[in-house]
Amino acid sequence: MIVEFLAAGLALGTPILLAALGELLVERSGVLDIGLEGTMLVGAFAAAVAAQQAGTPLPGVLAAAAAGVAVAVLFGTAAVLLGADQIIVGTAINLLALGGTGALYREVYGETGTSLVLPTLPRIELPVLSKLPVVGPVLFSQHALVYLALLLVPVMAFFLARTGLGLRVRALGDHPRAAESLGLPVRRDRMIVLAVAGALAGLAGAALSLASAGSFVEGVTAGRGFVALAVVVFGRWSPWGVLAGSLLFGVASALQFQFQATAIRLPYQLFLMLPYVLTLLALLLPRGLARAPLALGASYERD
Amino acid sequence: MSRAALRVAAFAASLAFGFAAACTQGGGAAKKDDAFRVALLTPGPVSDGGWNASAYEGLQRIAKELGAETSNVQTTSPAEFEQTFRDYARQGYDLVIGHGFEYQDAAMKVGAQYPDTAFLVSSGGVSAKNVASLEFELDEATYLAGLVAASMSKTGKAGCVGGIQLPVIKTTFDGFEAGARSVRPDFKVSTVYVGSFEDVAGAKAATDALIAQGADFVLHNADAAGIGVFQAAKAGGALAFGTNKDQAPVAPDTVLASAVIDMPKAFVQVAREVKEKTFAGRVVKEGFATGCVDFTWNPALLSRVPADLRAKVDDARAKIASGALKVRP
Repeated sequence: MIVEFLAAGLALGTPILLAALGELLVERSGVLDIGLEGTMLVGAFAAAVAAQQAGTPLPGVLAAAAAGVAVAVLFGTAAVLLGADQIIVGTAINLLALGGTGALYREVYGETGTSLVLPTLPRIELPVLSKLPVVGPVLFSQHALVYLALLLVPVMAFFLARTGLGLRVRALGDHPRAAESLGLPVRRDRMIVLAVAGALAGLAGAALSLASAGSFVEGVTAGRGFVALAVVVFGRWSPWGVLAGSLLFGVASALQFQFQATAIRLPYQLFLMLPYVLTLLALLLPRGLARAPLALGASYERD
Repeated sequence: MSRAALRVAAFAASLAFGFAAACTQGGGAAKKDDAFRVALLTPGPVSDGGWNASAYEGLQRIAKELGAETSNVQTTSPAEFEQTFRDYARQGYDLVIGHGFEYQDAAMKVGAQYPDTAFLVSSGGVSAKNVASLEFELDEATYLAGLVAASMSKTGKAGCVGGIQLPVIKTTFDGFEAGARSVRPDFKVSTVYVGSFEDVAGAKAATDALIAQGADFVLHNADAAGIGVFQAAKAGGALAFGTNKDQAPVAPDTVLASAVIDMPKAFVQVAREVKEKTFAGRVVKEGFATGCVDFTWNPALLSRVPADLRAKVDDARAKIASGALKVRP
């Protein structure tokens, strides 16, 4: 029972984790991309169309990553290269994605829609681990994007803390002027970081439409991009913190459905609030270095 | 921020709004004096293959059968309801339909200000001189679904998955439970609300939870998110009931039957009254008796239903239609 909702929490937390890891990287480089929800939605849509056309999920995954990069480049062109206000561009991206995927969806599948049933990502049983008693079959037979997301956590932690390139990303976010004085092309580097994050947000969308939902409907992301934004703050801009936040949110979501299903006679809204309340409470905990990258959200223009 | 950057941001924003506007059709056509014009406001995308899609089909039927000029728009917040109603009324539309319970207050308020426009709230309980509501007694059909579930269930448990707890959603679940208890007084029905009508992943997780609790039949009333219910039911070996439209084609091996609303028929009836100037504000009850609500089996799965149960369902349906059996307490 507990293992089951841990597994459900892992599945529900994966799209958030993927998107939040990308956003973490972007924010560490000094850019605040609140267009995450829209980027995910475009990824989910691209994944749905490609997987449906091909009849297998893999092209969907690739299309989602590519679409995510495209949206990120669009965002970056306006917000980084041209120095437009990041919040406004992010908002525009969200609106564009919701309207654009909706219009395209109706173009492709008819005005009243068809309930799309997509080829879903297969479960992969990890050798040895999936044979562990109780936990094994549930936690270690997930789809590939779950493993990818989990693997990215230590990779990103190592990258940011221990590599020269990671240091460069952090310099971009904390002191772009200093980075530039050392000869780093601030805007170009931020664009590269954005593209990587865009691919991750696209994959988050794919995890949603090709696994968690197995379908696409307009607005299918249902606010998960905004949750991922909160998770980055919750995680104190650290990959391990982001992992904890995503899992907390996923498990709390799974838990509240279990509570409702066991027919505890309380207003269901209380249960729906649970993941958000827990996230808010966790934000209040004083813990470690709780500071945002110094240059976060400020557009950078050369002297 | 440079001027060029501002221009790009403005372009991106206008593109976004342009797309949003592109999703709403028609509108701008100038009023011809004799033209019969009908507008539709939906709370969600008309591509949901369910509640909103059925309204769009109704609007198209009105256009075809009554030669109406039509327009539709998706509204997302209560603030937009009144504004959009008022816009259409001011443009001289003959009939404006608010597709759902949530439009009641706005219809009453704007209706009082624009007496020459007829307002229709699909699924509501309010009326005024120029305001009518359709009240779909879909619980008549979900009562039969409950009866079937309780008769066929091996576990003695079933689940309901709703989008948001609106009264019209809850009554369908109450009907389901009443139908189930009519054959098995100890039958257990648990209800989970997802909190959204678009969150397919949430609906799937909610259904997983219900199945983990032992439910082997699931009824959904979650519009577009309902597809997640069918997927989870399929994976968990449970059977499901569709709502609003015949959803057997969506999941042919999982949907045993659907509680169906014939929205186009109901819309055309009211629109014809408006066109022929016989319209009077009232609450129109639509159920089995009027032919606008139906309980439709999935032919592909019908062989799983014992013949005596089918006969029992037909019998209950006839009694509900004649008024001999009351679904609501």
